[in-house]
Amino acid sequence: MNIIVCVKRIPKTAEADIFIEKDNKDIKKDNLVFALNDWDGYAVREAVLLKEKFEGEVIVLTVGPDESKEVLTRCLAMGADRAIRIEEPIPNDGRLIAETLAKVIQTGPFDLILTGVQAEDDGWGQVGVALAQILGIPHASIVTHIHIEGGKAKVRRELEGGLEELLEIKLPAVLTIQTGINEPKYVSLAAILEAEDKETKEMTLEEIGFSPREPLDATIDQVSFPPTGKRAEILKGTPDEVVGQLTEIIKRKKGS
Amino acid sequence: MKIDPKTFTKDYLLHLCIQCGTCTGGCPVKYRSPLNMRRLVRETYFTDPFPSLSKRAEIWACTTCSTCSLRCPSGVKNVELLMAIRNYLANKGEVPSTIRDALENTLMQGNPWGRFRDRRADWAKALGVKIFGEATSETLFYVGCAPSYDPRVQRVATALVKIFQNAGVDFAILGKKESCCGNEIRRMGEQALFKKLAKDNTILFKKLGIKKIITTSPHCYNAFQNEYPDLNLPVQHYTQVLVHLIETGHLHFSKELGTSVTYHDPCFLGKQNKVFEEPRKILASIPQCEFMEMERSRERSLCCEGGGGRMWAEGGTEGKRNAEIRIREAVSLGAKTLATACPFCLLTFEDSVKTSGLADQIAVKDIAELVDETTK
Repeated sequence: MNIIVCVKRIPKTAEADIFIEKDNKDIKKDNLVFALNDWDGYAVREAVLLKEKFEGEVIVLTVGPDESKEVLTRCLAMGADRAIRIEEPIPNDGRLIAETLAKVIQTGPFDLILTGVQAEDDGWGQVGVALAQILGIPHASIVTHIHIEGGKAKVRRELEGGLEELLEIKLPAVLTIQTGINEPKYVSLAAILEAEDKETKEMTLEEIGFSPREPLDATIDQVSFPPTGKRAEILKGTPDEVVGQLTEIIKRKKGS
Repeated sequence: MKIDPKTFTKDYLLHLCIQCGTCTGGCPVKYRSPLNMRRLVRETYFTDPFPSLSKRAEIWACTTCSTCSLRCPSGVKNVELLMAIRNYLANKGEVPSTIRDALENTLMQGNPWGRFRDRRADWAKALGVKIFGEATSETLFYVGCAPSYDPRVQRVATALVKIFQNAGVDFAILGKKESCCGNEIRRMGEQALFKKLAKDNTILFKKLGIKKIITTSPHCYNAFQNEYPDLNLPVQHYTQVLVHLIETGHLHFSKELGTSVTYHDPCFLGKQNKVFEEPRKILASIPQCEFMEMERSRERSLCCEGGGGRMWAEGGTEGKRNAEIRIREAVSLGAKTLATACPFCLLTFEDSVKTSGLADQIAVKDIAELVDETTK
């Protein structure tokens, strides 16, 4: 079973102070740390688990600049067999990313394509679904369980309101993987250093025979902070003081 | 040290074990987990399929306090064996999820809590502290991860800065260039990450022309003093510095403490590095500080369970926590303050003093805070 996993390198912003660039088109990223998109980590782990069951090969694929190599190395350390990087700044246009990925994917045989549900940075959740459309194969999004049997995948999808959908999908297919589908293993530094010896192929758009169309579906005009809501109250002071204030508020609201 | 199936018996001196049971007899988590060091040494010695032993959850219960190794009459390297088993597991990716997160955070942000690197020195903003890069000094005050980010321990770092400034000590901190020392990282089994941290930190210290290091935490002190292969710089725990400042007349007490204090020896300061006298000398020189010694003190101090990666571990132990037992010991002695000199001890005691409902009977303080209060 040959599995292709599409991954992305993203900046980690949960704990960080965020500033906007002067041109208002992006956030400042020079003080941020970058990592493998969380959803993609689950997708790679799922691919490796499927490979352990059915054998075959796991290929990780990304579109991104030289720095993106570090997330591919991490995927190789997680158990992927080889990696391909398409040398190109990461576009904001989800469909363009999908078209670029498709161009590479179409050159070889595969049984299954996994992506994360969405990326931590833009959160658009488009690439997996667009990719399936371009390749003309079925897809399921927000997948929380995969069972492969006789050229078909029985998958569970997460729906709104705590509902689950059970689908049977003919392979090859694209599945976008939800966090929590498995328990990612720790990737040791020793494993990462060892994975640097595994094969990573680097290709340009020219080499894959792809010239991006214009105009793009999506470009970013402006990035801004959400306006402060009227009902939001930020408590200030030392932790002790904040806890005191919070306790008073809860007491006041209790029963109201 | 790596587990080599051919040589590990000799590497960890397992063949010298006489099965006396002293290790298990002194183990602070033996009542709280299935960890049995005597049995582990014996089974590791006899068992060929080593991986089966490493599946056991109790491998993560050990606090690496090292009571077992220090008391062993034959010199068996129990704790090193345990860390090697954890290393074997870490390399296979088989570590508990909270430990996994702590290790990944350290690689990414330079601290196990995953807090933002740029905020590492926020605590020092209003204190007028020199930061390497903007200023220079021969003395590095290496703050440490917990004192940089944890609001409770930030008070200790702040107290130390005020004491140093008060005594005219020239020093600087690394600010956001400071990364984890790696002491706990090594104990959680990530030997390669520890080596990277040791190498990067050593290069940074040398590049900045640092001649001397002062640490807040006994854990950082231990790493720099005993486990950094190429550092070769004098390292002092802050208690050693304070004693010197008091004895040479650079630090004057201006207030009376007016309470009774007992002292808990942190494992990485006391039993592992034999710094017993300095904290006691400091307490003895504070005016109106009635010092009381607990029955279990110095080498016999009861581990608070904050070491060895236990700060980031969930579960694996049951029953009353050692920190709570310790608080009760201090209360029954009649002490109004339990003093210590380690960020992890401070945090485990602060938790236990609240969960045991004894917060109105005893206060938990770092020695640095007591000195700061009485030298202002």
